Amino acid sequence: MTLYETMLTIRLVEDRLQEMCLRGEAGDLHFSKGQEAISVGVCAALRPTDHIVTHHRTIAHEIAKGAELYPLIAEVLGKRTGLNRGRAGEMHVHNAAIRHDFSFQLVGTCVPVSVGIAWALKNVKKVEENVVCFFGDAATSNGQIHEGFTIAAIHKVPLLLVCENNELAGNIRPEHYLPPGITVADRMLGYGIPSMSVDGNNVHEVREATLQVLPQLRRGPFMLEMRTTRLCWHKQGQRDIRTKEELDVLAERDPLILGDQILKLGRRKELRAAVDAAFDRAIADPNAEFV
Amino acid sequence: MAVDESVYMLGEGAGMKTHFDAPEIERLYPHRVITLPISEDANTNFAVGLALQGCLPIVDVISSDFLYRTMDSICNTVAKVNYVHDEPKTIIIRAEFMTGGPTSGQRIESLFAHIPGLRVVVPSNPRDAYSLMVHSLNYKGATVFFEDRMIEDATTRQQDRLDGSSADFRYSMLPHESFEPILTVVSYGISLRHVLPFYNETPIDLFDLAVLWPLDVDSVVRSVIRTGNLLIVEPDVLFGGIGAELAAQVIERVPCRVRRLGAPRTTIPACRDLHERMLPSLEAVKKVATELLVLR
Repeated sequence: MTLYETMLTIRLVEDRLQEMCLRGEAGDLHFSKGQEAISVGVCAALRPTDHIVTHHRTIAHEIAKGAELYPLIAEVLGKRTGLNRGRAGEMHVHNAAIRHDFSFQLVGTCVPVSVGIAWALKNVKKVEENVVCFFGDAATSNGQIHEGFTIAAIHKVPLLLVCENNELAGNIRPEHYLPPGITVADRMLGYGIPSMSVDGNNVHEVREATLQVLPQLRRGPFMLEMRTTRLCWHKQGQRDIRTKEELDVLAERDPLILGDQILKLGRRKELRAAVDAAFDRAIADPNAEFV
Repeated sequence: MAVDESVYMLGEGAGMKTHFDAPEIERLYPHRVITLPISEDANTNFAVGLALQGCLPIVDVISSDFLYRTMDSICNTVAKVNYVHDEPKTIIIRAEFMTGGPTSGQRIESLFAHIPGLRVVVPSNPRDAYSLMVHSLNYKGATVFFEDRMIEDATTRQQDRLDGSSADFRYSMLPHESFEPILTVVSYGISLRHVLPFYNETPIDLFDLAVLWPLDVDSVVRSVIRTGNLLIVEPDVLFGGIGAELAAQVIERVPCRVRRLGAPRTTIPACRDLHERMLPSLEAVKKVATELLVLR
């Protein structure tokens, strides 16, 4: 699958889930609409043996790392046949087959856990595998993130920190969670962790930057700040603080615009059919059971 | 650590701790001791990362009071990862009940016993501490493991030493074989030590809970069926403590007279003498036991 096809698959899955949310057939899910280029571009640069750890908005990362659609959708819908038996839902998905080690709803948790994973890969298993931890810009004001950055820098673990900078904390704007004039990249100076800022809506740029940085992880952690646009609500069931005009401007940066133009010619229909087939199968499955 | 090379010890000043308290660990396994900053929350989550890669981490949080600083990673990460994951991970979170004041010595074991996904252990003597640690390392799941500075400060009796022959957990029940018991006493941790002199002079069934979750209610019920009397002596704050849970569960199954002794719901004073006086004394145990037995 091409990078654009993967991004489109994510969009199709999330769009269909959103329809279900609006009809009350699914919970208040968190989507990555507008941010797909980050997970897809980064994961395209990884080896299958590399690990990812993610946050609460993680359907995109699962698909980007190569998850099968049906068990993932069944999991998100709380089905017994789900990837994690319907216990994880959308926010605690993990998938050993693609080395998606875990995802954490609570903002910030993913960083110190990733540091522990990377420490074990380097010092216990002694393998040259990388860990990529995805988190949002708002998470950088959480205490666990600071603690995790500090340990990562001290122990020089092979950890790629990918900051999905959508300039939002749920429905809150940066003036409420970043000191005036300070960027996420500025913060990294305090830990001695090098960083680079990338257009997170350009999937090729994301992939190239990741490929460029991966070899450096042998020397310690690195942070890629991905400037992006969240084009959906924070979560379903919660309206957006942004105006329609504001969202229209952001939508011009939709990473799929170019992709759509390409895909009009080709496989959109085919991808849609695959997504629908996975949904049909998952929806028919029984709900998860108490353990 | 000698038996299983996947056992790792980590936490604030872990290296310093082995240097002074366990030089053999420092000498033999220096690479399996990870010294981390004063960042309790991240340290526990770091251990989750190790566990996800197959290590058996023992996180030393040092003081039970510091556990409040890592409640999120214990309750929201450790316990939940093990619920969601196909293979529950062995993670031990170890802390001591200290002495020294309002934030040095809080007994918060019942808080953790309330959280699904956590096993809670409070040994009453060094030998059981070893046995329970070995057991916890073999258990597929998370254990919050408490030790007690008051026990560590006390004289170690010969029978509490590990003799090398067996590491079996000993004190789950201390039966009197020569006479019919007239009272069931349940205790744990430092409080058990305060009950022992009473046990030596009175025909009672004495239980050392040691494991607060899962709680061995069945054994206590079997004893109470014979005695009709239950006295619970706990070092934790009485209100909402393990004793309340045990009393409720026993009385739901067998009619009996129940009394509880525990600490008042009071902030720990800095003065050690006052702190020790908060705990149920031998005199209080004797007094309440007598009251129970008079009613008999």
